Order: sequence, then C-alpha cells, then structure tokens
Amino acid sequence: MRDYWLSKLFFDLQSSPPLGAEYRADRKKILDRYPLKPEVRKAVERDDVVFLAARVNPYLLRFYFVVTGMPENEFLKRVRNAGAETAARSSHG
Amino acid sequence: MAKLVGVFAASHAPLIVRGWKDVSVPNQESLTRSMTELGRRMKAAEPDVIVEIAPDHWVNFFINNLPSICVGMGEEHDGPAEPWMKDCPYKKIKGHPRLAGHIVETALERDFEPSVSHHLTLDHGFCIPLWRGGLDPLPPIVPIIFNDLEPPYPTVRRCLQWGGMLAEAVRTYPEDIRIALLATGGLSHSIGEPTMGEIDEPFDRECIRHFESGDERRLVDFLNERLPTIGNGAAEIRNWVAAHGAAGKRGFELIGYCNCPEVYVGCGFASWNLGARA
Repeated sequence: MRDYWLSKLFFDLQSSPPLGAEYRADRKKILDRYPLKPEVRKAVERDDVVFLAARVNPYLLRFYFVVTGMPENEFLKRVRNAGAETAARSSHG
Repeated sequence: MAKLVGVFAASHAPLIVRGWKDVSVPNQESLTRSMTELGRRMKAAEPDVIVEIAPDHWVNFFINNLPSICVGMGEEHDGPAEPWMKDCPYKKIKGHPRLAGHIVETALERDFEPSVSHHLTLDHGFCIPLWRGGLDPLPPIVPIIFNDLEPPYPTVRRCLQWGGMLAEAVRTYPEDIRIALLATGGLSHSIGEPTMGEIDEPFDRECIRHFESGDERRLVDFLNERLPTIGNGAAEIRNWVAAHGAAGKRGFELIGYCNCPEVYVGCGFASWNLGARA
C-alpha cells in the first residue's frame, strides 16, 4: 500500500535540500502544505517508522530519515522493529 | 554499421562515495581493484557511446508517473543531484539522440513500448561506476532507466529479451561507431526494509554461477523464485539480466565480488566476453 501524499512529502523533501533544511527548522509549516490523513500526520510527527514503513516505498522511507537527521543506528533499529511487529501481527492471525 | 564492443555490469552502492572512510581497508582495496579493472576494460573497448542501464532512485520519476523502462533521448543530461555526489566530475553529460531514437524505434518494432525522456538527471546509480572506473572524459551516454525500485517491476524474462533487442538495435544502427553497454545495480542488498543491511552472499554466488553457466532458463527461474524472498535492492539484478541478454547470454566473467557490510551491498563487477574483438 502506498499513501500518495505521504510519499509526495518524502519525495519532495529528499529532492530539495533547501526544503529539507526548512523542514528541519519548522516541520509544522511544511506539513501544513500536504493533505495528510490525521493518523499519517501523527505518525510523521512521532517519527513512527513502523507505521510509515507500511505506507511508502522503502527507499523513500530511508531518504526521508536521512533528511530529518535521524542517526543511522536509530533508523536501523526502528526499521528492523517494523519487521518484528509485522511478524508478531501475522503470528496472531 | 555500429558494433557492440563491450558489455559490463557493476554495483553502485552510494556509501562507496558517501561512507568510503568507514569501509574497512581490505574492502576498500577489493572495491577499488574491481572498479579500476572495470574502468580499464571499458576504456580498452574504446566506446564512442555507452548505453547504460540503471534504476532511478526517485530523482526523475515519482509514483504519479513511473515508467517501467525509459530511454533518455536528450542531447544532454544532468549529472547527479545528490548533495553527497558534489565531487563527481560529471555535471552535464552528453547524450546521443540518434542512437537513442534508433533504440526506441527498434524496441517498438519488437513489441516493447518504452517511455522516453529528452532530459534526465543521471543519479549515483549511473555515475558511481563510471566515476570510480576513471572514465573521464566520458563518451556520450544513452541512459536507460529500468524501474527496479517500486513494484510492480518488469519481469526478469522481459529484461532478458530487452537486452537481446538492444544488441539488435546496436547491430542495425547505421553509423560506424563503437558501442558499449553498462548495467548497474545489485547484487543483494536491502534498503529501508526490516532486513536493511543484510547481504545474502550465497544468493549472490549462485546468481553469479547462473550468469556464468549461460543457462537462460535456470537463470530466469532462479531469479523469479529468489528475488521476492530477499532484499529489495537485488531487484536491480534485472539490469544485469538485460546486459546478459545483450551479450547473447554467454561469456560472463566476474571481475570481483565484495560482501561489503559497510556499504550494505554485496558488490559485484563483471564483463561479458564477446568473442573476437570487434
């Protein structure tokens, strides 16, 4: 599943270093320009990698968290958790 | 008539540039040796034009318009846009519109319907192997983008056929020029997924064995079975498959392989022996 506007946000941010800098300075201002579903916006605000991973292309997910400045080890830990949570959900039917 | 004077393949891991200082010395030496040898072979082939197949890493295309295959027909292309590629010497890259047009016409005659672009940005996937191979100055490039990043992907079988079509397009191109083909991407890696960082060396070795054997059916069956089970980056092996098709599905020679966790990629470099020098 791809969330179009979430994908567009990530795509735009990794395409434009100035926009990325603006985003790091004031996330809300940039997020207001995108018609994100409320739960998606909340996940972005919370850096909820597991939630977001299910809704965007993995490369865009990776590029987005490079733009936000999340340390590499932290991103790796969280994205690996995405796998663990998916597996846990499947094992519970 | 034009001649196909070389067919090559190479990995293009971004961290070869962006994280080079963090790569262990033995792996730096292995990668440097392979990339230098790849560049030496490419230069020795003396190509007038390089047809290059690589994916687009969200530079030219987005999910609002995502071609499976796009041929760059422009007179000129932009060099890589990634800020960490700023030292790459290729700021503007000359294209070859006549050859690109002939490839597109040949493709249509053979029942492929590629999209076309008259101005592409060639990201690290196109530029790292050329740069690190020391191709400076660059001959004109005809870039061909395969969608290896966002499913649904072109089928492995179709990529093999696309390579055969490319060889035909080279053979029938009326100018007396020398043309090389470079395919980039792969081998196993996983980006932005729960398996990020995992390299499947047994898969890579088996893949290499299938290229070496030249058994088309087994290569296609192997990739159809295994690609969905390993990291997303291995989807780029489709580009190698097209190169294999262009080389007549024989003559694969591994230049080097480096299981390089520091760059997250099982890095492979290869050329195809096309027989007597054209």
